Amino acid sequence: MNAGAGVFAVSCSREQTTGAQALQRERQLNQFLAEVERRALRIAEIAVRDHDEALDLVQNAMIKLARNYVDRPSKEWTPLFYRILQNGIRDWHRRQFVRNKVMVFFGRGSRAEPDYDPIAAAPDPAGRTPDETLQAGQAIDKLELAIGNLPTRQREAFMLRMFEGLDVASTATAMGCSQGSVKTHYSRAVHTLREALGEHW
Amino acid sequence: MNTPADDKRLEENAKALFDDSVARLDAATLSKLNQSRQVAVAELADDSPARHWLRWMPATGVATATLVAIVVLRGPAPTDVPIASDPTITDFEILMGEDALEMIEELEFYSWISIADLESADNVG
Repeated sequence: MNAGAGVFAVSCSREQTTGAQALQRERQLNQFLAEVERRALRIAEIAVRDHDEALDLVQNAMIKLARNYVDRPSKEWTPLFYRILQNGIRDWHRRQFVRNKVMVFFGRGSRAEPDYDPIAAAPDPAGRTPDETLQAGQAIDKLELAIGNLPTRQREAFMLRMFEGLDVASTATAMGCSQGSVKTHYSRAVHTLREALGEHW
Repeated sequence: MNTPADDKRLEENAKALFDDSVARLDAATLSKLNQSRQVAVAELADDSPARHWLRWMPATGVATATLVAIVVLRGPAPTDVPIASDPTITDFEILMGEDALEMIEELEFYSWISIADLESADNVG
């Protein structure tokens, strides 16, 4: 009788511990995703040049991380998350390539330009003048265009190192290549961007 | 020729522009990101054993279909009962046996004895 009660108590205690651990893990994941989601979205937007597609790619990366890698140490989450995201972006480009081939075959062009976006045209929340906003907008547009025109591996290396701030080792994990390759891709990306953006950069 | 200082300036400008664009994300986008995050976190909460089984359902379906296909293509398992094509092999073995010549020499005897067997069976019936 006492033995049975003891087993029941141990079982309940274990369930409470497991529940607390699960709650802790959820909080950790939520915090991690909240930290990376904005930069991840902008990185995806620059890579695919489509806001909605970028949102889908980020959401898929979040879900895959939660499903498959959340048991890994939290310090590994950043490179893992970006590896998933970069794989998603590469797959997206492959699908677009095939889609465009099919569209060209059937005599249709690429997707039309997006419609006017009133939210994007709203006043700047930072209180800058329209001229300043315009200049900043033109500069980031030019930068995004130049980054978007980089070869895939150079673009990945540049954005992960510069925008996300990953070190060489984490970038190598995220890109699935050696640290030497990361350094080479990054160096070439900076060189190409300098040529594309001109001297005033 | 680009100097390291030029590269440094480009990196700083690019980083500043990128950070600025991140800070200027609109409310609708932030709301969508928040929803996506909640969906991902809910994946953890919904980590029940039944869900684990559901994840294996496609693989289980493919395995079952493969098994059925193998069974159908291979047909029924062989049995010990002789099948229709066996008599040819059996006759051949008898003809190639040591007693074959004697059997051929006494073919009339064997013919007579088989007729006699049939007649006796008729009489009994």
